[in-house]
Amino acid sequence: MERLNPRVRVVWLLVAGLRAAMLGGLLVGGAATVYLTGIWENAPQLLVWGALGVAVALGIVRLAIAWRRYGVWRFEVQDDALYIERGVFTRVKTVVPYVRVQHVDTRRAPLERAVDLATVVVYTAGSRSADVAIPGLTPERAEELREELRRLAIESEGEDAV
Amino acid sequence: MSTLHPASVPYRSISRSINTGFLFFLVGVFASPGGAGTNILVIGGMVAVGIALGVVYEIAYYKRFRYELTGDTFDVASGVLSRRDREVPLRRIQNVDVGQNVLQRALGIAAVDVETAGGGQTEVTLRYVGEDEARRLQRRLRRGEATDEAEGDAEDEDEELLFELQRNELAVLSVFTIDPGASLLGGILLSFASGFDPSTLIPIDVLESDLPGTGLIAIAWALLLFALAAWVLSAALTFSRYYGFRLTRVDDELHYERGLLQRYSGTIPLDKVQTLTIKESVPYRWVGYGSLAVETAGYAPGQSGSRGAESAVPIAARDRVFALARSLEPFGETDLETPPARARERYAVRYVAVLCLIMGVGYVLAATTAVVQDWYAFAVLLFAVPLAAHLKWRNRGYHTGDQYLTTRTGFWRRTTKVVPYYRVQSVIYHQTVFQRRRRLASVTADTASSASFFGRAATAYDVDAEDALELQRTVEARLQQRLQERKRQRTVGRWFEEVASEDDRDDPGVGRSSEDST
Repeated sequence: MERLNPRVRVVWLLVAGLRAAMLGGLLVGGAATVYLTGIWENAPQLLVWGALGVAVALGIVRLAIAWRRYGVWRFEVQDDALYIERGVFTRVKTVVPYVRVQHVDTRRAPLERAVDLATVVVYTAGSRSADVAIPGLTPERAEELREELRRLAIESEGEDAV
Repeated sequence: MSTLHPASVPYRSISRSINTGFLFFLVGVFASPGGAGTNILVIGGMVAVGIALGVVYEIAYYKRFRYELTGDTFDVASGVLSRRDREVPLRRIQNVDVGQNVLQRALGIAAVDVETAGGGQTEVTLRYVGEDEARRLQRRLRRGEATDEAEGDAEDEDEELLFELQRNELAVLSVFTIDPGASLLGGILLSFASGFDPSTLIPIDVLESDLPGTGLIAIAWALLLFALAAWVLSAALTFSRYYGFRLTRVDDELHYERGLLQRYSGTIPLDKVQTLTIKESVPYRWVGYGSLAVETAGYAPGQSGSRGAESAVPIAARDRVFALARSLEPFGETDLETPPARARERYAVRYVAVLCLIMGVGYVLAATTAVVQDWYAFAVLLFAVPLAAHLKWRNRGYHTGDQYLTTRTGFWRRTTKVVPYYRVQSVIYHQTVFQRRRRLASVTADTASSASFFGRAATAYDVDAEDALELQRTVEARLQQRLQERKRQRTVGRWFEEVASEDDRDDPGVGRSSEDST
């Protein structure tokens, strides 16, 4: 089983941090509005502190999940299928037979480019797994994996894709 | 190159005129100077302009629209302002549907919709062609190749009637189907019919004078009337939609027809079937009925736009449904393996948790406000928890056959899905935190069926975690195995063809005659 590049943690942590900050901003901002504008008369000051506490707690949980995700994530290029294991709370193990692969992409989001990583996206005709993505690969490995998957998909030569 | 039926110009013009004319009517009403309100001349002028524009557009559309059936593609050139040329490979075509409403039937025209895999929308729509042409296209497009004219007659002979909706089945279906659109319409209709102001659906003051009782009782009356109107309308719509439902089989495709006011017919290619779904909802199950949906990658047959998936067989006695399903995909007996008993505890715990949450919120509300008082009323439901958990557990299960995976779930709407292994796109094992505690997991076999965008893909819920891994491996292995077999069959088939064609070359006379006969 292959692990992801540890640098992917940076991406995940940053994304989780950004999201948590946005949600926290909304929560605390909302609480502050209620407290200051007097929509709720004599609102306790506790409200704002409570919102802040909740926001911080949620942020910490999100960061912890993002950190943990790396430990769970792994994939394997098997003989006739791509196998992926992931999920912190809900464990998901996906098998994508090469015969079913429609096409393979590599993708690099700005954050990923910043830490020099890439994502390989595998498409099938299925509705549920229309895009199986493997993040946290070095650009070379991503390129190599894409080539490999493409070759395997062609070799396995399905009849109709659907 | 063929063109649309000439009658499509006036028909399309009329329907478009009604639309654009109405739009311009509205614009006219708003644009005309206020106070005096409506200036007939202005409105009339704008309506006339709208109609004229519509007619001009339709003539251009008709002139521009060309289609042609070539050896292996269906070519369509269309578009007035932005032009579009399409070539649809015939082997990619999933369904071909023909629709006709009363007016179109009088004019002898029909609408043809050609569906390919993938994408939410219809690939090609022909609005409109002649009835015969529609039927010819429906046959040709699904044949996978353009064939000789002579073949037309032979087609109808080997048509085998699989299913016809009986009168009592139609009655049961109409009575039990709830159409969400119809219920909305029913409400509006009711508000008009009883002279209510349509902007306020439940005007208390009118209700109080017209109907028995006051306050809450009046609202209850209004709701009852609303439900009744929605139900009657829904029944009427369903009746009209499924009137005269017939399902026939021609070679390797299903052909269905239905509809009273608007007649639909369509094809379901059997070699493109992704999943069979058998639904037995509670009222149907009591009287021993069920429904069957045949899903292809294009869409489920009869499903049009917003209305969601309709069934291949909307309702029939349970044995007939299963017999029909087996005649399409011989999936044999299905002795389902129910989930382990500890799954049942899981459901019970889940229900108790939900009830506790509701009562907890109720308690908080009761303590802080005066609106809620009897927060413990839901406690009665706790007695129903064991039964509910048992029923849920009872109705879940899966079966791995030689060629098919069968899964079942749901008490209220018991849904059995039959998936041929070679249609599986990917196999997904998932295990939530709560499942992990009880060593359970679920396995989903994903197919390209577009119905699983909206519904759920075939999933074996709450299987023992070890078995679930095994199930995932099995499905994947059987998929490979079945694909190999099909490949082998194909190569053998091709080999036979090659041998046959070589024989033909030796004797040209034989070759020609065999070509004619196929």
